[in-house]
Amino acid sequence: MSTAVRTGVDGGASRVAQGVGGGPGSIIFSNVSVEFKAAGVLAIDDVSLRVGVGEFVSVVGPSGCGKTTLLNFAAGLLPPGVRRGELLVGGKPPVMGNRDIAYMLARDALCPWRTTLENAELGCEIRGLSPDVRRARALDLIEKVGLKGFEATYPKALSQGMRQRVALARTFALDSPILLMDEPFGALDAQTKLQLEDVLLSLWQRERRTVLFITHDLSEAVLMSDRVIVMSARPGRIIADVAIALARPRSVRALQKDPAYHELYAQVWAKLEEGLSQ
Amino acid sequence: MRPAIPASAMTVWGGRLLILAVFFGLWEYAAATRAIDPILIGRPSGIATYLWHEVFVTRSLIEDLGWTLLATALAFVLGSICGVLVGMAFVTKPIIEALVSPMLLALNAMPRIALAPLFLIWFGLGIGSKIAIGFSLTFFIVLTNTVAGGRGVNPDHIMLAQTLGASEHQIFRKFILPSAVPVIFNGLRLGLIFALLGVVGGEIIASEHGLGQTLQVLASSFKTNGVFGVIILLALIGMGITWGMTALENWLLRWR
Repeated sequence: MSTAVRTGVDGGASRVAQGVGGGPGSIIFSNVSVEFKAAGVLAIDDVSLRVGVGEFVSVVGPSGCGKTTLLNFAAGLLPPGVRRGELLVGGKPPVMGNRDIAYMLARDALCPWRTTLENAELGCEIRGLSPDVRRARALDLIEKVGLKGFEATYPKALSQGMRQRVALARTFALDSPILLMDEPFGALDAQTKLQLEDVLLSLWQRERRTVLFITHDLSEAVLMSDRVIVMSARPGRIIADVAIALARPRSVRALQKDPAYHELYAQVWAKLEEGLSQ
Repeated sequence: MRPAIPASAMTVWGGRLLILAVFFGLWEYAAATRAIDPILIGRPSGIATYLWHEVFVTRSLIEDLGWTLLATALAFVLGSICGVLVGMAFVTKPIIEALVSPMLLALNAMPRIALAPLFLIWFGLGIGSKIAIGFSLTFFIVLTNTVAGGRGVNPDHIMLAQTLGASEHQIFRKFILPSAVPVIFNGLRLGLIFALLGVVGGEIIASEHGLGQTLQVLASSFKTNGVFGVIILLALIGMGITWGMTALENWLLRWR
């Protein structure tokens, strides 16, 4: 049965083990709370979570449960004074502009005045890579996300799905070992979403970078991840940590026919419901 | 209702010419029969003769046109550069805006043409006072648009830039400035028209050269044909400016 254990020598378990020491590519939250005192909101309450090197971890939970706050904390975007507890990103405290991190938002954030190629290069450009290197990477990723032939196209002429493909290329063109993704496919229609999930899986499969993936879509979380973290409604607490022991490489289409996938989906769903009724 | 069938370009242009021909025909007829006194409305044939003579024979209008255009161009360039620079300073350094924006608002609320006599005292009857009036109009228009454009930056871009570790300088150059350009351009287009307005207004009040001065001289001696001739010339300049700016905008902002 494909679901019993993780397969391959670089399977999830060994990758998780590498991350325990807090090396590059790991994210470790230790008893982290985030409270926005001005608004009187306790967004996150005592969260402890280890994301190992090369692990794909999704966080699901009701809206407003602090999922994005977790991500923003890791990206160093939270103002000091609202957070308690310790967070190590790649073994270091979180700072804004950390080169170990590539961040992807729900909205594509493409620059309308830049072509597909120029948008895909943007991240590398800001991080000071030489023009040759960043162009080569951007071209490679544009091909991988299926936009070959659209290099010179401006975003206005691209569909929503294509725009998000460009954003994927921009994110993966960075050589950061950690990817923070905040509902990157949340704004897409169901069909486009399935296509892009496959694109993301294939990109991730090549390099196995650490991914912390925020989503409100349970099936997406189960399909993509090594582990699914279920959070409660505000204040956000972790109420379940479900290992997704499905074989890799995965295909979104094939998994939808796999009973093990549906079982895991039901399991995560039950945990989420528990959290909502608490 | 049935959908309207778009007319061909030929039909449209033919129609426009026809309307103009009818308009000028009626005008000529009214003046020739003295249905309306030509002192009031001039006469199309007289206007054409005047323009022909002054543009191609004596060339006196060409020289005046040159003065007006030079003053307009200088007022526009100086006003725009200062407007964009001050606007961007406001966007990037809010303290500067907090300090000087009330004063600038008060200045902007003043009817600018009222400053013309002062500018004449300061800069004389020549081109300097005209540039000053044009500048005082263009500057504020471009400033307002620059601030609006600079503020209109997409917050997602700023967040993306921060996670990428962009410097202040990079955020400005790669996100704030390009996203402000379309709005700034609206200001520039308007600013150019207002530079022309300010210059011609200044020339009418007191000047040595320029179309406005010619207009004033012609009007005070009731040379109505000449007045209409200069007005038509000014209208053509205005159209040329708008057309040129639109063409430039379409090329520069082809990503829109």
